[in-house]
Amino acid sequence: MSLDRKIPIEERLNSNAWDVDQRPHIRIIDPEQCRKCDKKPCLYLCPARCYTPGPNGTVLFSHEGCLECGTCRVVCPENNIEWNYPRSGFGVQYRFG
Amino acid sequence: MSTRFDVIVVGAGPAGLTAAQQLASRGFKVLVIERGKKPGSKNVFGGRIYAHVLDRLYPEYVKEAPVERWVRRERVTFMTEDAWTTVDFETTKTEHRSFTTYLTNFVEWLGKKAESAGAVVVSEVPVDSLVIKDGRVVGVRAGNDEVYSDVVVVAEGINRLVLERSGLAPKLSPDIVALGVKEVIKLDKNTINERFGLDEDEGLAWVLAGYPTHYLPGGAFIYTNKEAITLGIVLYLKYGYQLDIPIYELIEEFRLHPLVKRLVKGGQLLEYSAHLTPVAGLNASPPNLYGNGYLVVGDAAGFLLHLGIIIRGVDFAMESGRLAAEAIIKAHDVGRYDAETLSIYGKMLEESFVLRELRTFRNAHKVLMEPRLYDDYVKLINKALARYFDVDGTPRRLGSTLLEAKGNITLLDLARDAIRVVMNL
Repeated sequence: MSLDRKIPIEERLNSNAWDVDQRPHIRIIDPEQCRKCDKKPCLYLCPARCYTPGPNGTVLFSHEGCLECGTCRVVCPENNIEWNYPRSGFGVQYRFG
Repeated sequence: MSTRFDVIVVGAGPAGLTAAQQLASRGFKVLVIERGKKPGSKNVFGGRIYAHVLDRLYPEYVKEAPVERWVRRERVTFMTEDAWTTVDFETTKTEHRSFTTYLTNFVEWLGKKAESAGAVVVSEVPVDSLVIKDGRVVGVRAGNDEVYSDVVVVAEGINRLVLERSGLAPKLSPDIVALGVKEVIKLDKNTINERFGLDEDEGLAWVLAGYPTHYLPGGAFIYTNKEAITLGIVLYLKYGYQLDIPIYELIEEFRLHPLVKRLVKGGQLLEYSAHLTPVAGLNASPPNLYGNGYLVVGDAAGFLLHLGIIIRGVDFAMESGRLAAEAIIKAHDVGRYDAETLSIYGKMLEESFVLRELRTFRNAHKVLMEPRLYDDYVKLINKALARYFDVDGTPRRLGSTLLEAKGNITLLDLARDAIRVVMNL
């Protein structure tokens, strides 16, 4: 993959080693809160683009590419994210951290 | 796991494993509980370790530790979209002061050290909370299991879920952390040596400010490893809300900046990672660094010294782990692990470089959160030099060129900010 262009985030995440749990370790508590949230910092501060715009101002979350940094939990203005680490060794497996 | 241990360590990182190794080598029965598949698999950092703590803990490290390159060259760059100004320092001295590495490998090595000293390291178990009975920490809880010990060393890292769930730390605030996003790019050794002007095993550590974060507080880093370059951006989350493009695009723009692009040309992306880092010095610490039956070390304790150009996490983490072990040994001699007895940990921290340096630089984070440093001044220096070097027959003195380039910044602002930087960093 050439470095002379922006590498789409999905492609970058594919270069990592993963052992993804089927069960999500993070959950949006109340979708209604996201609808009311103006800034939605999760959309642009999650480095893995786990948060994407959903219908009618909602936010969709997918745990698969989660880098387990904890940013979403810290920046959510509504404290609307239930944040955990993946269970028993699951998730991203850093080799060059 | 119904066995009882003398000490339980939550988290197999630099701080926890140092505490575990020190205690196990003194005959303590130590259990380290790690959420990753093995020690190191969840660790991420910028790229460099200051070695002074290793001289004392593991004198054999020069031969044994997974060193990538010894840093002999340091660069600081003030970067705009189309111009950049760099300070480049180089030394021929071959003292072992700091080295680049992968924290993943380094922590795995520390894990082996702890295990060969006799510590039990259990992986793939995220600890949920501390077990507290009658106001005393007596063990840890993971799922339906509880394990008990005389004392618990909390080395869970910056996301201190265990402390929070146990009511011992407030929720992490965006004001005290920064987000680091990193790309590791494979390049062959000779290409790295040529492009960065390095000899065999010589390393470069480089920090850059301005354009990398779109002029928000934070910066970028580049480190050379043996056969890879690590680059990344760090953004103070206090200012994260002002970001004009997503953070995952920001790092791509940095990598594609003309200065960086030619350095990584032909490389191959090996990994894309992200991690939070404490940036508020002592303000990032939980209310108590010790209490009845527990001690807090490393990132969980906020022990990271951030001076803009110099960033030190691993040496602070390891030293705090070592001191926690010393404190536990002293408490064991007394026969009690209450807050009063463990307060020796606080005293030892005060006498060590950990709190001495964090106190010396207690206002550093306030200075470094000043947005002008990353915006106006980065632009000013490049604008002034661009004008000065642009010879067109108009006479230009250094002073008048600077005055012209400073735009709306008053001389008072300049003087005040310069004094704050010089006095506090």
